[in-house]
Amino acid sequence: MTAITAPRPGAQGVLGPALRAVGTEAGKGLALMWRRRAITITGIALNGLLYLMIQFFIGGGHLVLPVLALTLPALIAYIVAATAALQGSGGIAEEVNAGTLEQVHLSPARPSLLAAGRLAALAAEGLIPAIVLALAFGLGYRPHWAISPDALVPLALTIADALGYGLLMTALTLRLASIGAVVHVFNMAVMFLGGLFVPITLFPHGIEIFARFVPTALGVEVLNTTLAGRGLAAAWADGTLPWLLAHVAVLAALGWLAYLHTLRRARREGGLSAR
Amino acid sequence: MAYAINFNVMNPGRERSPVAPLADVAIGLTGVTKRYQRGKGLLTAVSEVTLSVPPGQVIGLLGPNGAGKTTTIKMICGLVLPTAGTITLNGYDVARQRAGAVRQIGAVLEGSRNVYWPLSAWQNLMYFGRLKGLRAVAIRPRAERLLTELGLWERRHESVGSFSRGMQQKVAIAAALITDPPVLLLDEPTIGLDVAAARTVKDWIARLAADEGKTVLLTTHQLGVAQELASRIAVIRDGKIIADLPTGELLSRYAEDRFEIRTRKIPNGLRPGVLPAGGRIEHGAEATRILLPGAGQADLYRVLDGLRAAGSQLISVSQARPGLEDIFLRLIRDGEEGPGAVRATAAERVA
Repeated sequence: MTAITAPRPGAQGVLGPALRAVGTEAGKGLALMWRRRAITITGIALNGLLYLMIQFFIGGGHLVLPVLALTLPALIAYIVAATAALQGSGGIAEEVNAGTLEQVHLSPARPSLLAAGRLAALAAEGLIPAIVLALAFGLGYRPHWAISPDALVPLALTIADALGYGLLMTALTLRLASIGAVVHVFNMAVMFLGGLFVPITLFPHGIEIFARFVPTALGVEVLNTTLAGRGLAAAWADGTLPWLLAHVAVLAALGWLAYLHTLRRARREGGLSAR
Repeated sequence: MAYAINFNVMNPGRERSPVAPLADVAIGLTGVTKRYQRGKGLLTAVSEVTLSVPPGQVIGLLGPNGAGKTTTIKMICGLVLPTAGTITLNGYDVARQRAGAVRQIGAVLEGSRNVYWPLSAWQNLMYFGRLKGLRAVAIRPRAERLLTELGLWERRHESVGSFSRGMQQKVAIAAALITDPPVLLLDEPTIGLDVAAARTVKDWIARLAADEGKTVLLTTHQLGVAQELASRIAVIRDGKIIADLPTGELLSRYAEDRFEIRTRKIPNGLRPGVLPAGGRIEHGAEATRILLPGAGQADLYRVLDGLRAAGSQLISVSQARPGLEDIFLRLIRDGEEGPGAVRATAAERVA
């Protein structure tokens, strides 16, 4: 029989194995993404073309650079959010059907660490196409942005908002049979109301208020404020930054708790696999 | 083979002690029940199952579809939470010491791919090894050995999706073994495999038990596989264990001498009283079969004398003993026969 020897307590600490568990799960996500890189590349090309066509349509056959400067951040946010939702939801559905989700949860690592790893992979999977498109349009059309360190704060918050949304959709996948349709509807809402085609400040007032509840919309608004050179103080003063902080906190917490809750419920009901 | 496990680091604050509990019981289930909510009612999938498997034993858990085998295995893995009862793995309580408990097991689950088909065999083994807390340096030599022994080394960098079903199953088994766990839970490990692949898997299971002393809990519908591999058989029906005996004991307890006589037509018919109780005659186009279950030598000679007297031409006389399949079908058909009738003592089971 296998002999098991216990090492000295605390020999490895707590952080190292936890980080390794997160890294392992994230690495798997990236390896799977690499295997379907053709789909990722096609997605980048299609999203870029769609964005360009709509911008030409809005500009009456011309590309209006001030509009592009205001909507390009929304494209980046949309791609991160949509990828997190689609890949998170599709990925976990595939794992449930294939039974690999059960094997993943035979790990001694806490489910929260595995969730963190999954989230890290989703972030990378969303950010890679977003960065590619941002560089392509940014370098290609050189929008008038006042790039400053202030922009990093709303950028990080927008990404967190997008990931919270993605995690929420992933969590719902374990509960809803028709999650594919749900994700597409929500992604369309993020696309149209998140300022991807028209900045949300140009929406009619009622729709503008409603749009601010949509994932990434507030983040894009604050990002545009900082890229216009007005700094975080202006965003704080007009109330968009505090609302963004609240939005991110609520959505991230909701996504995280919903994911862990649905996992626990799946274990109680035997829902980690399709069988 | 020895390997080091750090017991607390992956789940701090949850484990009772960093020292591995030593146990006489590798897999222990006490009063385990699982009820699922189905609509407004409850469906009892597993009811009051108590099972104690000593280290190094191969136990076959048999039952018809929906009997509760898979639910039981998933509860042992901690993938499904029991409604009542306790489960231990080498002394670790699965509910309260999950991290320690899952380190004791490797599992191949039925109806699942078990591994990532888009990834290569090598990537899968490295991933599952790391996921279970091992470092890459410890995983590599073991992965190399497993893939070599399973004949997959040359194709280790190809995606598992491109493999045959048998090769995919071998990768799943290798992934379950990557941490060298002392307990293996195999839910239908040979299902869907061709004869050669099934033979490889069977040989592997037999070797793991014999040479490495692994405790194996095996479910299968292929009763020949269970009879070949398991030293103990538990039969589950409607969520309850209805038989639990060492394989030899189960076979001998239900064994009966069964003679089969094949003849040409019996022109004058058999005289009344020649056929013993339970005997029956089946007339076929080619031959007539006379089945004598539970017949002794005297009964056999009496029937043979009767056949000679009736002018029948004998083709063959053979003796058959019921296999596990016959016994299983009888148990499933007859249902619970009382715990005393089909349960062995702890000493018998260990033996």
